[in-house]
Amino acid sequence: MKRKSIPTELKLAGVLALLMAALSILSPRFLTLDNLTNVIWSVCLIGILSSGAIYPRITGGIDLSLGSMAALMGIVADLFMNKLGVHWIPSILLTMAIGGSIGLFNGFIVAKIKVPAFVVTMAAKTYLYGVALVVSQGAMLAILKPQPFIAIGTGRFLGLPNPIYIMLVLVVASQFLLKKTAFGRKVMAVGANEVAAKLSGVDPDAIRLASYAISGVTSAIGGVVLASLTQQVFAAAASGIELEVMTALVIGGTSPVGGKGSIVGALLGAIMVAFIINGLNLLNIPAPFHPIVTGVVILLALLLNEGHLSIRGLGLGRSAGRQASI
Amino acid sequence: METKHANGDNLLTCKGVTKSYNGPIVLDNVDFSVRRGEVHALVGENGAGKSTLIKVVTGATGRNSGTITFDGEQMPLEFSRKDAQARGIACIFQELSLIPGMTVAQNIFLAKEPTIGRTRIIDKKKMNHQAQALIDKYKFPLKAEAAIDSISIAQRQLVEILKALSDNAKLMIMDEPTSSLTKTEVEMLFEIIHTLRGEGISVLYISHRMEEVYALSDRVTVLRDGKLVSILNKDMISPAEIIRLMIGHSISEKAVHHRLESKRSPVVLEVENITTVGKFENISFSLHKGEILGLGGLVGSGRTEVVRALYGIDPIDSGSVKFLGTPYVPSVKASIAAGIGFIPEERRLQGILATQTITSNIGIANLDVLAPKGVVSIRKELERAQKGISLLNVKPPDPSHLVGNLSGGNQQKVVLAKWLVRDLKLVFIDEPTVGIDIGAKEEIYEHIRKLSAEGVSILLVSSDLPELTRLADRVLVLRKGRIFHEFKDCVLTGEKILRAASGIIEEAADEA
Ligand SMILES: Nc1ncnc2c1ncn2[C@@H]1O[C@H](COP(=O)(O)OP(=O)(O)OP(=O)(O)O)[C@@H](O)[C@H]1O
Ligand SMILES: [Mg+2]
Repeated sequence: MKRKSIPTELKLAGVLALLMAALSILSPRFLTLDNLTNVIWSVCLIGILSSGAIYPRITGGIDLSLGSMAALMGIVADLFMNKLGVHWIPSILLTMAIGGSIGLFNGFIVAKIKVPAFVVTMAAKTYLYGVALVVSQGAMLAILKPQPFIAIGTGRFLGLPNPIYIMLVLVVASQFLLKKTAFGRKVMAVGANEVAAKLSGVDPDAIRLASYAISGVTSAIGGVVLASLTQQVFAAAASGIELEVMTALVIGGTSPVGGKGSIVGALLGAIMVAFIINGLNLLNIPAPFHPIVTGVVILLALLLNEGHLSIRGLGLGRSAGRQASI
Repeated sequence: METKHANGDNLLTCKGVTKSYNGPIVLDNVDFSVRRGEVHALVGENGAGKSTLIKVVTGATGRNSGTITFDGEQMPLEFSRKDAQARGIACIFQELSLIPGMTVAQNIFLAKEPTIGRTRIIDKKKMNHQAQALIDKYKFPLKAEAAIDSISIAQRQLVEILKALSDNAKLMIMDEPTSSLTKTEVEMLFEIIHTLRGEGISVLYISHRMEEVYALSDRVTVLRDGKLVSILNKDMISPAEIIRLMIGHSISEKAVHHRLESKRSPVVLEVENITTVGKFENISFSLHKGEILGLGGLVGSGRTEVVRALYGIDPIDSGSVKFLGTPYVPSVKASIAAGIGFIPEERRLQGILATQTITSNIGIANLDVLAPKGVVSIRKELERAQKGISLLNVKPPDPSHLVGNLSGGNQQKVVLAKWLVRDLKLVFIDEPTVGIDIGAKEEIYEHIRKLSAEGVSILLVSSDLPELTRLADRVLVLRKGRIFHEFKDCVLTGEKILRAASGIIEEAADEA
């Protein structure tokens, strides 16, 4: 007799289905295409950023600079296109390269100088915000052209907003990288046991560098999408989004201590939070209560995923590292 | 203190204890008891449920059903390790739970430090004094003020024992306490166990070493596949009988490996005068194709340091290394690419990825083959995992099982498997059978011999003397970072190795 434990993604999908069922009973406005599209739209940015931010997280680190970074990269893209007159395609590529380089720099300090990632990226969050203020001269800049750039965020394809496709592509690419490539295996191994990984031929420093660089690139993509969607850029455009990204990762089963994680889970996590907030809105529950609900949801998810809580029969409380043979 | 030794005076009684982690039943209706003041051994194959039984008794994990009575009181269905401690159940787990940055005294008195008068200020002097008094009472080789980082594993176990004693433990549980100890340390531990028994403290003891079980215990409980096979009085049974009960059939030790004529086969690894300051000095030897070269010596004699350096983990200060005739500068990457493997001594710290599946654990050391272009061939990866599982008989044989959820011995098998599925030319093996049960040990020896017959050269570090004498073609004994003696073409005995390791050479020298 044998029973597999249910993967986090499946559990989340189940919870999500229950949540949707409940909301559609409670509010007739919930199950409309418009409402659903709105909700999904609101998680696009989180999905895009998570697809890269998950890498540092799985190695046991964290990238808290991604909000400042995304805002700065929007400003930089605007600088290239509208001040320096560069064509929009190379502008975007350059922006991604810059984002990747800044990520690489973060990774360098974490991997080689061994400063805790929390400190490194917290500092980066602050100084990147500063740089953004300087470059934008503290102003909120409207982007009115070029048209193809604007269309990235505002256009639709087959009735759905473009950012959804961008997010899906990134999520699928990220999931592929994580689950099907040697690089993904190595990221997992570094997070699970750095010494063992090293003895098996993995170079943990190189893996860390690459992880932060990936997060830098997706932050840049997120910044570009946000800029084109809102048609404006400013230093605080994405402030605080790093916390929403971390929330999505935690709910999706990415361990805060590293060694496991799932980008599909993170996406479902982000959708879940968005549905909860949407539901609270539809049910006319005053906004000040919303953070309380999300906070509790995060805590519950973390406890369940890390095996501190168990729901009998559901097998939700399983954790390898913790219960491992004593 | 009066202690009763009467039959049937049980300190711990388990009735019908059943436990399943997540599906399969791991403990099946186990009736088990420990008497007051006895030394009780718990034996069984890897994965039989020994650690789980202990976890249930110490509150480290819950049980599904059954009753546990300790010292006349029923334990509730759910209780914590703290509850168990408060009642007098102490446990020395394999990963010790001491705080590395603190001193011995601070660890012993953690959360119950003596204070100055009625204040809450810790009285350091008094604490050190009391700790030293406790140490002296049991004549432990320890200093109250020594930092935990600076003492050996065996000494750390002693600190754990003192900690438990200062908690007035009535039952002291030890899960494979001797697996990382040297022979002298084991003897010291045995003496301590006798002392404890003399004081009326019961000791429950898990071990895969039959001679220990036999030397030490009053009664032996045999578990097999989560079921209690029997509780035996030691006087009424032989070690062979215990083994038969454990694995369901008797084993015969395979004949001692015949020493191969090493001069005939080509040299694979040639080490000349390598030195790393503070670790080892002027080490020279050559390892031939298909040879099993043993590295003996006491813990701390530099054996592990030598293999780590040769694999490329730690730098070598001076000297030269040749691999297959060409100069070789060891680095982990180059070693792996050249067909060199390394099986580390501490599986939890250096070997396993606890949060990952068996497949990923085996895969990580084989990515060059499984993902030559960067994309992992899931099919090949699974095949390798299945090969490893069947090669070493990992239980359960499920590639998607998380390694952290395997029993200790099965985790060790995975660590071995991830290297043994590779095509190797040379492999460094450091303490391969720590935590491995007797039956599986024979299988692993058989496998190591097969590798050698296939032409793989093996450098084997082991504190298990029979392991060296039964496997190695030659043995180098290290002492204080230098090669102290080489045994070749002679009848190897553990005795000889042990003497050389402790610096006694007269008798050994006769042989060479
Ligand atoms: N946390 C866990 N989750 C799921 N299964 C587990 C867990 N811990 C142990 N098991 C399973 O329970 C069974 C018994 O394991 P246990 O650790 O008690 O064995 P053991 O007798 O101590 O073996 P060993 O000699 O190898 O240490 C094994 O099949 C193991 O795979
Ligand atoms: Mg065990």
